[in-house]
Amino acid sequence: MAPARLGLAPPETGRAPGSPRPSRRPDRATILADFGPLGALVLLCLLFGFLSPQFATWGNVRNVLDSASVLAVIAVGLTFVLLLGAIDLSIEGVMATAALSVALLVANSRNDLDFGFMGVLAAVAIGAGFGLASGLLSTGLKIPSFMTTLGMSAIGIGIATVLFGGVQPALRSPELAEWASGQWFGLTRLTYVAVAVVLIGILVQRYTRLGRYARAIGGAEELALLSGIPVRRYKTLAFTFAGATYGLAGVMVTTQLGSGIVQAGVGQNFAAITAAVVGGTLLSGGRGGVLHSIVGVLIVTVLVNGLVLIGVSPYVQGAVQGVIVVAAVVITAWPLRKRLRVVK
Amino acid sequence: MSVTDKTGAFSRLGDGPRLTQSARRQLLLTVMPVIVLAALVAAIAIANPNFLRASSIWTVLDSAVPLMILASGAMLVILVGGIDLSVASLASMASVLVALWIPALGGWAVPVVIIVCALAGLLQGAIHVVAQVPSFLVTLGGLAVWSGVALLASGASTIPVSGTTLDWTFTRVGAWNVPSAVLIAAALVAVFALVLAFTPVRRWLISIGSSEPAALMAGAPVTQTKIAAFVVSAACAGFAGIMLVGRTFSGAPTLADSLLLPVVAAIVVGGTAITGGFGGIGRTIVGVLIITVLRVGLSVAGVDSSYEQIFYGVLVIAAVAMTIDRSKLPFVK
Repeated sequence: MAPARLGLAPPETGRAPGSPRPSRRPDRATILADFGPLGALVLLCLLFGFLSPQFATWGNVRNVLDSASVLAVIAVGLTFVLLLGAIDLSIEGVMATAALSVALLVANSRNDLDFGFMGVLAAVAIGAGFGLASGLLSTGLKIPSFMTTLGMSAIGIGIATVLFGGVQPALRSPELAEWASGQWFGLTRLTYVAVAVVLIGILVQRYTRLGRYARAIGGAEELALLSGIPVRRYKTLAFTFAGATYGLAGVMVTTQLGSGIVQAGVGQNFAAITAAVVGGTLLSGGRGGVLHSIVGVLIVTVLVNGLVLIGVSPYVQGAVQGVIVVAAVVITAWPLRKRLRVVK
Repeated sequence: MSVTDKTGAFSRLGDGPRLTQSARRQLLLTVMPVIVLAALVAAIAIANPNFLRASSIWTVLDSAVPLMILASGAMLVILVGGIDLSVASLASMASVLVALWIPALGGWAVPVVIIVCALAGLLQGAIHVVAQVPSFLVTLGGLAVWSGVALLASGASTIPVSGTTLDWTFTRVGAWNVPSAVLIAAALVAVFALVLAFTPVRRWLISIGSSEPAALMAGAPVTQTKIAAFVVSAACAGFAGIMLVGRTFSGAPTLADSLLLPVVAAIVVGGTAITGGFGGIGRTIVGVLIITVLRVGLSVAGVDSSYEQIFYGVLVIAAVAMTIDRSKLPFVK
């Protein structure tokens, strides 16, 4: 077994047992991780404010917050999965199924169902069900999460395609439409929904076992296991919570669009991962948190908004996120490089 | 036990129950895919005897070609324990680039596009190896970048290809009406098989996939082999994109995007373990045929094509669950 055991250094952290980190580095790194993203956000705002006169107007701020709200809800859930050191690639599929479910369960143009807000709850529960399935498959069958969630994403998109059935269901529910267009204090109601979800996320992360254990598991799974934390249960729970937020995000997109489409979540998975990583929630687990991810969400949204305002083609957005996420991971992982470190 | 070849018998010396368990697992991985394929073909042949006529067999093989080319390259990356999620979007990018460049470069567009894709793979491989970033993340970023390039280059529209430059990818040749694409794929697979059989490459790939530190200490060119796997994977993706242009007479920025899951499914269903160190080109052929025949079978059985995605998702998870080598993963992230 000896040669195989050599390969067991924690694959993504590189924190081999018995090799303490240099004592001064964590402090500087932590400060950089905590305040670097915030600084980057301020710099970006200043830069775009300088380049485009439209950027710093109330209307545009409202646009940014509006479009950030869906991504923020997703990022809250994703953060818990990333804290574990796992990854979730199922967001587009879960959002698609949730979007079609809610569109078919509330008053709509396709059937006579009208469950009102129970329909919204049902869609969120369906999202949670997807998360539960991803979590159970990852922990029970011991499959890496990127593989299970990639499969779940395809399943979600498939179910959504079947539900879609070639005829787009349009929402006919005035009270739901009110949530997308109605405003409180100049911001749409969905923005407040996002703020509420972020607050819940912060509370869960700070004051519940789910949040505490997620960080412990991501920091050092072996230690968490040895100290008696029911690792599998809390991993599954984190995936379930994340699935519920994706479900809610699917509902939010559907209310914004006024109809349920399979493409409800297209691009959001990558944007959410980018946001989390840029905000300082490391993919290796154990670092970062909801607030970090939210700063990342604002960075990504401001970047997209600003690039459009200064006239960059919208087709480049995905590519820009791709470059940013790889660059961010390269920068954060660079100090951990080692000759014999195994990264798959 | 011929099936417990070089893949790790060494590491299991003096570990009685382990040996039989891993031997059983490897036997299962070798025999199961072939049985599944045979059962599928038999089932479809019973449901529709026309399936076994030469013309329909050629058609099925012909439709398997893009998947086969994509999967042969991506298999190498999985063999060393990584994964390449960018192959489908690279194929789409290649389709756009070749459609754009054929008017200017003619037939030379084909090698140029393959080289461009190989350079893209080189970049991904170098970032993965030098910066030690997990391969799924590098290639996920790559997926976004190459899609962006394809969208930008094409202006998000389909680019038609006229003329006869790419006719060689989609004609029938000889007295038996053999599709040219099948011959091309067969030649490519033969090259893969010869290289893997007669050069140390296969040993390097498998030793890296089995235990990278051990391979490094034994003097295997780990860095070069890993980067080369990404380069070949990307070049194959580019070639598959060109083959797709030959069939649709156009390049489009999302032409091949839906092929990502079938590619991964084909590789793991064929018996190549996602954890690396076990697999090969023969298994990938079987896997690709299983996926292709299943698709035909679903339409014979009258299943609506919108169920296809659900089915790929379930298949990938099930196949990974069966083929994964859990002894290699202390913690599953």
